[in-house]
Amino acid sequence: MTNVIEISHLTKYYGKHRGVEDVSLTVREGDIFGFIGPNGAGKSTTIRSMLGFLKFQQGSIRLLGMDSVKDREEILQNVGYMPSEAWFYPTMKVKDVIRYAADVRGKDCRAEAEKLCEKLKVDTEKKIRELSLGNRKKVSIVCAMQHKPRLFIFDEPTGGLDPLMQKHFFELIEAYVKEGATCLLSTHVLSEVNKYCRHAAIMREGQLTMLESADIDDETFLHFYEE
Amino acid sequence: MKHIYFREMRLNAKNLIIWSLSVGILGMICILLYSSMQGDMEEMADAFSNMGMFSDAFGMSTLSIATIGGFFATEVGTVHGLGSAMFASILAITMLSKEEEGHSGEFLLTLPVSRGKVVIAKGLCILSDLVLFTVVCALFYILGFVLLGEDLPAKEFVTFMGMQLLMNAELAGICYGISALSWKNRMGLGLGLVLFFYIYDLMGRIVPDAKPYLYLGPYSYANASQIFAGEAMEGKGIAVACLLLFCGFAFAFWEYRRRDLAA
Repeated sequence: MTNVIEISHLTKYYGKHRGVEDVSLTVREGDIFGFIGPNGAGKSTTIRSMLGFLKFQQGSIRLLGMDSVKDREEILQNVGYMPSEAWFYPTMKVKDVIRYAADVRGKDCRAEAEKLCEKLKVDTEKKIRELSLGNRKKVSIVCAMQHKPRLFIFDEPTGGLDPLMQKHFFELIEAYVKEGATCLLSTHVLSEVNKYCRHAAIMREGQLTMLESADIDDETFLHFYEE
Repeated sequence: MKHIYFREMRLNAKNLIIWSLSVGILGMICILLYSSMQGDMEEMADAFSNMGMFSDAFGMSTLSIATIGGFFATEVGTVHGLGSAMFASILAITMLSKEEEGHSGEFLLTLPVSRGKVVIAKGLCILSDLVLFTVVCALFYILGFVLLGEDLPAKEFVTFMGMQLLMNAELAGICYGISALSWKNRMGLGLGLVLFFYIYDLMGRIVPDAKPYLYLGPYSYANASQIFAGEAMEGKGIAVACLLLFCGFAFAFWEYRRRDLAA
């Protein structure tokens, strides 16, 4: 199996403030990788560096065998990202947002988008500004999945989703992973890590530690969040 | 890139319609007021042309407000000069920063498109909107002349609208550069810049010592009174405008590709 994510000695500072320090991480193809840690630990900094939002000072990131800086456009063609907040253009209709995401990718994703909207019960006629956080998240899931990417990056994806939608969401992930996709899942929910993740790592104070197993008990999990 | 351009055009369509109709109709009403004010104009024109430095500043020493050309330059020149500049600055200064302020950047910039292409697509959208704005306003002003039954001073009119378009593009260029720097809405700063340049131009025309530096401001070469009085335009002002326009867009391109983007 090949490495889909290869982060090597990543260091990112915001001025004098620490973002992440000397982070190295490898995620193999077909994995559902749990990425846990307290708020401000550096999970989002790592993810945002991977996606090219942030310019890091040291290290390198390779996604799908390509350099995250030089080959950014090609990488993003094969990545489905779901941010924790799921914001879009408020005046656009849901169907237009979904279509727009597919158009920019230059792909006809109508069949997959329709399947996803049906499964997640997305009302495509509504405007974004009329949607709750949970419903915006569902739109975000459709945008992240409709082009059947090889790598999924989810940043706290289930916040705001009802239990049934959470179940559908993980069913979808497992189905895509079965077809060869890989998933990086940043979350604070222990049950998600235990149930779905095959490997996991914890970030604390900007540094990353690989966990021996993704099967973690309550006490150990809470210990990660203590100072 | 074309999808980003067309989506941006659609998102800005409402603003474009509101601003172009407001400025265009207001300008047309000003033109139509000419016939009702024509009787009192002679005395007013004499008074305006004998106000010394102020007459020179507003072009009244060489241009009579009693003529349709002079009336258009004085009234519509001010309405269009300020209205169009406000539209240009608001449009450009929010164009890039709104993605971060509204958090939509996390959606847009995770699509497979480079930041450079985003800057180009949005920059083209600004320029297209400015052209459309100018065309819509020009049509209303022409309609005003037709309804009034007066001959349109075509050469001066086309020059005036063209120079106003360049002035708007220059202001938009400056504001677009600022937009690339910022992750917050800086609309107030954009409007402040317009007022600053407008007052800079007025002061430059009133204070003799400031006149040599007038060309640095965008209102210098787009002054309606000067154009309708047939005075030669300063090439320096136009050159500075082109330079600032280019620098503003080039800076936006460089800065937006370089910096960290807010969540």
